[in-house]
Order: sequence, then structure tokens, then C-alpha cells
Amino acid sequence: MAAESQQYSSGGAISIRNVTKVYDPDGVNVLAVDNCSLDIAPGEFCVVVGPSGCGKTTLLNAIAGFHDISSGEIHLDGKLLCRAGLTPEPGADRIVVFQNGALFPWYTVLQNVTYGPEVQGRTKNEAKGAAMSLLSEFGLADIADHYPGELSSGMRRRVEIARALINDPRVLLLDEPFRAMDALTKGVVHEFLLQAYDRVKKTVFFITHDLEEALFLGTKVVIMTTRPAKVKTVINVDFPRPRSFRLRSSQRYLELKEMVFDAVHEEAAKAFAAGERELA
Amino acid sequence: MATINWKKLRKAVFSKTVYRGTASIAVLLALWELGRWLRMPILGAAPAPSEVIFLLREIVFAPDFWENWSASFKRVLTGFVAAQIIGIPLGLAMAINRVARDTAFPVLEIMRPIPPLAWVPASIIFWPTTESSIAFVIFLGAFFTVVLNVLGGARDIDVRYLRAARSLGSRPQDIFFKIVLPATLPSIFTGMAVGMGITWEVVVAAEMIAGKSGLGYLTWSSYVGGNYPLIVIGMISIGIAGYVSSSLIRLTGKLAAPWQRLF
Ligand SMILES: Nc1ncnc2c1ncn2[C@@H]1O[C@H](COP(=O)(O)OP(=O)(O)OP(=O)(O)O)[C@@H](O)[C@H]1O
Ligand SMILES: [Mg+2]
Repeated sequence: MAAESQQYSSGGAISIRNVTKVYDPDGVNVLAVDNCSLDIAPGEFCVVVGPSGCGKTTLLNAIAGFHDISSGEIHLDGKLLCRAGLTPEPGADRIVVFQNGALFPWYTVLQNVTYGPEVQGRTKNEAKGAAMSLLSEFGLADIADHYPGELSSGMRRRVEIARALINDPRVLLLDEPFRAMDALTKGVVHEFLLQAYDRVKKTVFFITHDLEEALFLGTKVVIMTTRPAKVKTVINVDFPRPRSFRLRSSQRYLELKEMVFDAVHEEAAKAFAAGERELA
Repeated sequence: MATINWKKLRKAVFSKTVYRGTASIAVLLALWELGRWLRMPILGAAPAPSEVIFLLREIVFAPDFWENWSASFKRVLTGFVAAQIIGIPLGLAMAINRVARDTAFPVLEIMRPIPPLAWVPASIIFWPTTESSIAFVIFLGAFFTVVLNVLGGARDIDVRYLRAARSLGSRPQDIFFKIVLPATLPSIFTGMAVGMGITWEVVVAAEMIAGKSGLGYLTWSSYVGGNYPLIVIGMISIGIAGYVSSSLIRLTGKLAAPWQRLF
């Protein structure tokens, strides 16, 4: 443990109200998200699953402020983030961890982590001190001077989560961050993420295709319909924290898993049929 | 810095690759020498390696010879540096600013296919001295490559990096200096390396046409004066000069972009 570890503010409340997103309304006109509403409580670990191409990333990007929405509103702690006709602003209160990772390859681990604090106006020394204590808290101090290109994918994801957390955001937005990782690496990064979560209690919006991952990590699992996305079911995952991997053999886990599998399978089958129709 | 690893170095120097390379050069030189003494067609017309080496032993002590080197290097450096100073900012401006791109791109695209040497006559008319007109032609040779590489590199930045940077609270100047610039650095150096190659081609040709000094001039005037071994020395000098220049750029690139292992 670092001598003076960072104090974290609590997570924020996200409110998604009747959000619709149409891509390219004057041309191809793709309805990606349709009248979707979802509330995420402060400190909740919300996992979103749904068929491929249903509109999950679109929703996350709207919360992040990367693109606008066609109707509806998104609020963070009562503050308006996003509404039709409003050019959204990304901000350090909701930091994104991307599917393929977006550590800056030209910066070392330490420089990546100090990037946020520095551009937000903290001095180099302050930023470096905070970054070093965070890195050692997360067991990453040894690799501080490495470039991301020299690290394994699991290591990179841990650094990226640290790079997000140092800014003390209200919300952490993760878009399939552990996709394409082998099961062993996944196990390790899951443990890492849960430890970090138990420590900082941020609100988490986590997209995945991996249903086991969803149940193991989430406080609630939101299952989306096929495109256009809206919420199909919300399943509360009431396992106590801190969680251990042994959880996966409990009776309750198997029950929940069946519920989630059934719901997702139904949607995936619909998506598949829709795909067939489109091709026909 | 790392100390020299003698074992590794010895292995590299006495490797099969080096043996084969040395052998093939030796065979080539032997054939060439033989062709000269046997008065074979084509090969027989060229000065033999022994003649070249004989002349070389004298010429390395002649100050004129080195003046030609420095004249060419000076021209290359002037034109090349000017191309970087104007080309890199222009490429970056075109990458981040739509107006700059729309304005400059058509002009560049029309000018680019004109071979630098086609500019020589016009350039001699425009510029007051031969020296400045040669420098201008060299500048053009490197300029377009630099601009297009910088533009391409900066436009190819993965949107994830830009989004991540904005998400972390960057101001526009942070995006430029901490994201766009470092992300473009490898392309800048690629542009420099290619531009340097073109620069040497251009300087040699320009010196042959209009120069009163330089390695291109040396080679051409040796031909005119009938000193055939000196032609070969001029050619080899140009080869070495070009090689040294691009090596320097590669080295600088490695130092400037240490995260790029595949340079
Ligand atoms: N910029 C865009 N222009 C037009 N259509 C788009 C654009 N971005 C995404 N789409 C479409 O919107 C739909 C939803 O895309 P989105 O990326 O949000 O899905 P997703 O649920 O994240 O999918 P995946 O699970 O494969 O990541 C898809 O059909 C996609 O083709
Ligand atoms: Mg997606």
C-alpha cells in the first residue's frame, strides 16, 4: 500500500431517458438505439450484454460524449450530458476504456497515467506523485517506464484502468475491454478490476459479450434487444462483494446464468433471423 | 547506454551472411578487373578497380575532392532543411484544418507529378544565383514527399487515441502537441528518409546540368575531361554520401521515437 493513497469521490448516477440514435438520417438511416431508458445508481456495476451490432457501443459513446443523439436525454448526477441538437463534450468525469485499448503508444506507462492530471492543470510533480502511488497500489510500479508496446495485453488493460481512475471520474465506461483475451489472462484482469472497484466504488458501465464475465463482475446485468437496442431485461446479481472466482460454482450463480443465457439466446436468435431476412 | 556486446558483435561480423556478401563483392571486382585486362566488350571500357584504387590513394589528400563533398552536402542540407521547415508544418496544418487542406491540396497535386529536374530551367530564370536555383530544385524534390507523408500520417491517427485524449480532459493544444505530433512522428521520419533519397538524386543531376562544384559536377566533368577512374570515384562517393545521410536520419528517427521498434 502506498503511503498516501488517493481519496476517491463517490460514483455518479447515470440516467438514460428515452434515448434514440439514428445514424446518417439523410442517407442510410440506421436506427441503432430506439427509445432506450436505463437508470444506473451511484456506485453500481452495470454490465450490458446484447447481440452483436445491437447498439451497445452507440449508447456508450453517447454517454461518453463522442457523438450526439437523435432524441431523449442522458444525465449524470442531474447534469444534462446529451440531448438532441446539443453537441456533446467528452469529459474527465466519465472516462472510457476501449475495446482495443487506447494507451498512447508514444508515452510510457507513467506518462500515460500522468496525462490526464497534467492536461487538467496539475503540475508535473503532483501528477507524477499521484501516478506513482496509484501504480504501486495496483502493483504496476515496476513497469512505469515501459512503453505499452512492451507489455502483455492483460498488463495494458490494467494500466488503462489505472489511467482512468487517477482522474477520479464519476463513471467508468468500458467497451468490451477484455475481448480476445485468453481465459487465464481474463481471470487475472477480472480480479484486478474487482479489486479496483471494491476500492473506489465508481459507477461502472461495462459492455461485454461474455455472459460469465457479466455475472461475475456485475451488480446488475442489462440485456439489450437486437437492433434497434432497448432494454429487454435487467437481472440483479446479488452476490456479496468482495467476490472470488469460487462463486462460479454456487447454485445461485448457475440459476442466474440460466436466466441470462435464455434471455440472450432469444435475442441472438432474433438477430440471426433478421440477418437472414436482410440477406434474402 | 548499453555497453558493446563483443560476443554478439563477433557473431555478427563473422556470420555466413557477411562471408557471402564479401565473397560476392570480391568476385564482382575480380571479374571487372579481368574484363579490363582481357579487353572484353562493355566491361573492358570501364576503368579497372586497380586503377580506381590507385587514383583514390592520391585523391583523398586533394582538398578539391573534399570541397566537392562539402559543396554537395551543403546544397542537400539547405534544400532538405528548408523542405522540412516548410513541409512539416504545412502537412500538419492540412491534417488538422479543413480549410488549409482544401486550399493547398489541389495545388500540391498539380505540382507533385512535375519531376524536380523539369524545374531546373525555370528555377535558373527565377532565382538570382545558380546556387539558389539548385537549392530550390532540391527543396522541391523533398518537399512534396514530406508534406504528403506528414499529412497521411496525421490523418491516419486512430480515432481511439483522439477520443481517449478528449475523454481525459485534453484542451485542443494538448491534442495537437501530445497526440497528433507524436503519433505523426514516425511518418515524419519516413518522409524524411524518402525525401533524403530523392534529394541526392536531384542534387547530382542538378550539379551535372548547372553546377560548378559538387559530387555530381565532379562525376560529369571527369567524363568530359576523360578521367575515367575519377568517374567511378565520383559515383561511389555519391553512393556513400547518400547512405550516410539516410543512416543519420534513421538513427535520429530511432532516438526521437523510441517506442517504434520497427524502424
Ligand atoms: N457511424 C455509423 N454510421 C452508420 N451506422 C453505424 C455507425 N456506427 C455504427 N453503426 C451501426 O449501428 C449499429 C449499432 O452499432 P454498435 O457499434 O453500437 O453495436 P454494438 O452493440 O456495439 O455491436 P458489437 O457488439 O459488435 O460491438 C450497427 O448496426 C452498426 O452497423
Ligand atoms: Mg461495440
